[in-house]
Amino acid sequence: MFVSRSMTRRVVTIGPDASIFEAQELMVQNRVRHIPVVEEGDKLVGIVSDRDLRSALPFRYFREGLDPGEKAKLQSLCVKDIMTRKVFTISPGYTIQDALLMIQNSKVGALPVVDEDGRLKGILSVRDLLRAFINVLGIGQPGTLLCILVDEKVGQLKKIVDAITEMGVSFGSVLVARYWEEDKRAVFPYLLTQNVAHVKKRLKELGYTLLDPMQWYLDQLPQADEPPEKPKT
Amino acid sequence: MKRTGFLFDERYLLHKTGPYHPEVPERLTAILEGITQGGLIEKLVPIPAAPADLLWITSVHTAEYVKRFDAACRSGKQMFDSPDNQMCAQTYETALLAVGGILEACRQVMEGRLDNAFCAVRPPGHHAEVSRAMGFCYFNNVAIAARYLQKQFGLARVGIVDFDVHHGNGTQHIFEDDPTVYYYSIHQHPSFAYPGTGREFEYGRGDGYGYTKNSPVLPGQGDEDYQRLLERDLFPAFAEFRPEAIIVSAGFDGHRDDDMSDTKLSTEFYTWMMRQIMHLANTHSSGRLVSVLEGGYCLQRLPELARHHVETLLDG
Repeated sequence: MFVSRSMTRRVVTIGPDASIFEAQELMVQNRVRHIPVVEEGDKLVGIVSDRDLRSALPFRYFREGLDPGEKAKLQSLCVKDIMTRKVFTISPGYTIQDALLMIQNSKVGALPVVDEDGRLKGILSVRDLLRAFINVLGIGQPGTLLCILVDEKVGQLKKIVDAITEMGVSFGSVLVARYWEEDKRAVFPYLLTQNVAHVKKRLKELGYTLLDPMQWYLDQLPQADEPPEKPKT
Repeated sequence: MKRTGFLFDERYLLHKTGPYHPEVPERLTAILEGITQGGLIEKLVPIPAAPADLLWITSVHTAEYVKRFDAACRSGKQMFDSPDNQMCAQTYETALLAVGGILEACRQVMEGRLDNAFCAVRPPGHHAEVSRAMGFCYFNNVAIAARYLQKQFGLARVGIVDFDVHHGNGTQHIFEDDPTVYYYSIHQHPSFAYPGTGREFEYGRGDGYGYTKNSPVLPGQGDEDYQRLLERDLFPAFAEFRPEAIIVSAGFDGHRDDDMSDTKLSTEFYTWMMRQIMHLANTHSSGRLVSVLEGGYCLQRLPELARHHVETLLDG
């Protein structure tokens, strides 16, 4: 779960002296929203986002374009004039969990990945994180989700995993909801098989309760017949 | 009464899947029993099965995959590509025989000798990808049938209705960029059921965008929800697409007594649904319809489900 495995390695970069129109075109062509700004030797000096560009360019640029005079005036505006210089970065050795918390705290959409010398090695965007978590959940692989209610005591998960493993079924992932109801946890194994009838039968024989996922889902939906809460005055 | 063909061959029982596997030969025995006991067998035209020409298999699957499957079978492997795909020495031959029989059913329907047909085959097909076996499936029976209808009989538009409770990932992927084959599937929601594809926002790709439609059904839902989704999604789509023939991926595993799913369909609903699909075929496809067995694992319910299915085909 390291950043180096989930980051995008082929980064679109730009120099500090490039025009902002060049940055804009690069974003459109490569369908990215963040471009790290580098100097010689891939040294990171800033980052420019589509939001930076939108603030720098007049609204009309995105709708109907600009007349030549206006454009010429803006032509002298460089990336270094609008880029963010204090960049939130991470190192390749950080974990995905680190990155997740950093992105949440810093409220940025992408983190450049730099080594100890400040050289750009890659970039980790929200999109890369999503891909990493699809991987973790295992849902890119065909499988079936089960929902098992267990008592809140040590060793429950082991028993479930052992029983399923003995049946030769592989796991895509296992999620645990620690507080399900009083003294109960819920375990959600994502099993890489279609043959779940057999697994369900075995788990019931072992005394586990299989939850109807919809029961939980419907409980979470706002009830239509309840009047909406009045705003407090 | 329609001229309805019935495909069954004793050799379809030879594919064995080993212990704790629900896709067993007894499924077909149960189906045959239901049709025989209902006195229907005399009304049906038997369809002979011969192994399919590899030419047709490779109209969907890669030659490399077919070779790999054949070799695995010959070498006595008991599993192919995924632990779900348990097999025996006869599996490859049985799979070829299933496709062969289905293509014969298609031919007789296209030549006007039959109006429609039910193909009680094993192994099933709709999970099989171009070069990967999965979910009990080896050759994608309905996909090969669709290609056969197009190449052999020049059909411009083929419609596939897949009501197996699992999404037919293989069939969808094979045709996802092809606007000449419309794939419609109704199945248990992929967040809860195998294989995890067939989400509502999957519409196909490229030229095929808009020619794939999925109606996911949440666990615990049943007849009314299915009816609402079919009316909303399938009927208007096929009215617009006007398929020249309809192939049905008929899986009976959404039944409330089938423990492979959490949907709660009744036997009567399956009859209603099939009648609606027949109506689509009569309206848009000159009645041409070939139904191919996919899943359905409740041995107690399969006889009645098969009987009603065939009765509906005969009633037209």
